[in-house]
Amino acid sequence: MINNEFIAKIEGHGSLDIDWARKKAELKILEGERLFEGLLVGRPAKDAPWITARICGVCPIAHNLASLKAVEAAFGIIPNKTTILLRKLMVASQIIQSHTLHLFFLALPDYLGLDSGLELAKKNPAAFKAALALKGISDEISHAVAGREVHPTTTAIGGFNKIPDKKTLKYLLNKLDKNINSALTAVNVCRKINYPKYNIGLEFVSQTDRKNYPGYDSAEIISSKNDYSSIDNYKDDIAEEIRKNSTAKFAKYKKREVMVGALARLATHQNYLVPVCQKYLKEIDFKNPFYNNFAQAVEILHFYQKAREIIGILLQEELDPRIISPSNHPPLKGIGAVEAPRGGLYHEIHLDDKGKIIFVNIITPTVQNLTSMEKSSQAVLDQSPKISSAEAQKLIEMLIRAYDPCITCAVH
Amino acid sequence: MKNITLGIFDFTDCEGCQVELVALKEKLLAFSERVEIVNWRLGQKKSKFEQFDVALIEGTPLVQEEIDLLKIIREKSKLVIGLGTCATLGGIPGIMDKEERQKWYEKIYGPGYKGRGIDALPLSAYVKVDFLIHGCPVNGTELTRIFSDLINNKKLNYKDYSVCFPCKVANIPCRLLENKPCLGPITQGTCGAICLKGGSPCYGCFGVKDGANVGALLTILNNFASKEEIENYFSMFHNKSKLYDK
Repeated sequence: MINNEFIAKIEGHGSLDIDWARKKAELKILEGERLFEGLLVGRPAKDAPWITARICGVCPIAHNLASLKAVEAAFGIIPNKTTILLRKLMVASQIIQSHTLHLFFLALPDYLGLDSGLELAKKNPAAFKAALALKGISDEISHAVAGREVHPTTTAIGGFNKIPDKKTLKYLLNKLDKNINSALTAVNVCRKINYPKYNIGLEFVSQTDRKNYPGYDSAEIISSKNDYSSIDNYKDDIAEEIRKNSTAKFAKYKKREVMVGALARLATHQNYLVPVCQKYLKEIDFKNPFYNNFAQAVEILHFYQKAREIIGILLQEELDPRIISPSNHPPLKGIGAVEAPRGGLYHEIHLDDKGKIIFVNIITPTVQNLTSMEKSSQAVLDQSPKISSAEAQKLIEMLIRAYDPCITCAVH
Repeated sequence: MKNITLGIFDFTDCEGCQVELVALKEKLLAFSERVEIVNWRLGQKKSKFEQFDVALIEGTPLVQEEIDLLKIIREKSKLVIGLGTCATLGGIPGIMDKEERQKWYEKIYGPGYKGRGIDALPLSAYVKVDFLIHGCPVNGTELTRIFSDLINNKKLNYKDYSVCFPCKVANIPCRLLENKPCLGPITQGTCGAICLKGGSPCYGCFGVKDGANVGALLTILNNFASKEEIENYFSMFHNKSKLYDK
């Protein structure tokens, strides 16, 4: 194994095999198995959010919240309004953090002909400045609410160990107000990119509550084919396939290859975007997965505005720091569903009557996207009959990066 | 002038320590102007694999290819530094005991699946490691201190205070006095007691402080905590560091 056989600038270890004679693309996932669904069993419920955050350093908040929701459902806990608002703020900062990192550091260099995101500093200082500002403010929100930019320390089953005071919230709001241009710059940089042109029949899937842009509140799964399904059926609907030579499973939604993540949320929830984002919708080609990068930039702006809105509400209310205790006859089984930056994330946790974990199942967004990535790679190969093998290799690596796969999540 | 060649490698882990590295923002840019990053899969396409003055390695060498690569990196590097608790102690993946892996491969992937992972161990199980930057994840201020020492050719050193020091400075009520378990007294304090500030306990991810009295802490813990509870704390990050005999 030489390091550069792996696809560079994606989160985790995957390689791409193209069989040139048959013109077939195959993704190989080689990340080691950490067996999170096993190592949690036998440990107390409090360990679930603490440990699952460590599945992924890029979206730890999403895992932390999914586990909290699963354990709270198992304990029959309904958290208070302050808790829900603060968690929604965490979702917003998580999506800005993750999209900023991916767009500017991993994906943008592809389109600008750079080797690394650090080169942006000289080649496009305005974009680099915006990236630093976005990363800075989203890290600060995560730090203030979750306790740290990576791996939360303040969150607890039933609420928060510690909530930010109003002075801190005011500081964050002021900082968001002052840096709005950084979010607009992200969109402007991404709308000017010349995305490779492909026409791929994509089906999009996202969690939804039918009332808001997806994020923390999820009751159902919606597909762009307009079918709805309850989150309770997630395990039947999202069937995982075990493949030879892959430590990640490959999932299909109702036996179909679907795309999840920013482009999928945008496609299925256009009317729920904040007004300032609406005008970009017509510039997005929903038949082209490369536009996921544009969609991520639009979501940065959307969640930036959402963060301001949530902090505004928190500042008007009396903050309730109380932690809710388990109910008397809890079901001891729970599902926690959250839209992570890369798409729908599902944690299912079962407890015994002492509160010890006896079963865990986790389905991550990237596992759902892997199948779609292969399908799109194939379409790119089929629709580019004249390109050289080197060009095709480069193009498909770019396509895979555009999906923003998180292999460490996928394997977990 | 760029007089240091640096390779940044990631084995099996969550990559959160590299996220902390990127979170240094301007400081990372300044650092990257003083060293030549010749290999960094997550950060750049360019990758040279010849000699490294410094190899920064994140993650646990879980699969055979990673163990082999680790040994090659060791041969090619003057200084090997572990980045984060997976690399320095085995960390969260180390919670899984080697003997249990086969059972879980079958439960999670089904019968017939051939697992790739061998055992989640720290880098030091296979090669000599020159310096450990502990933390799950690592701490930005500590990273800056170490990078600054590196580019100034200083010998890298550990700080000799425990988590209790920043915890007291922050005026946080002592968990042990409230009969709640905590590994703060035996753990290096360069984390700034960040977990305690967030209301969480210390599970010792910053590694054992030089001269720590583990036995004394166990005596105190045994006064109020069950054996199972104590094991829960020591197994979070230290399951493979042999700090505590079950």
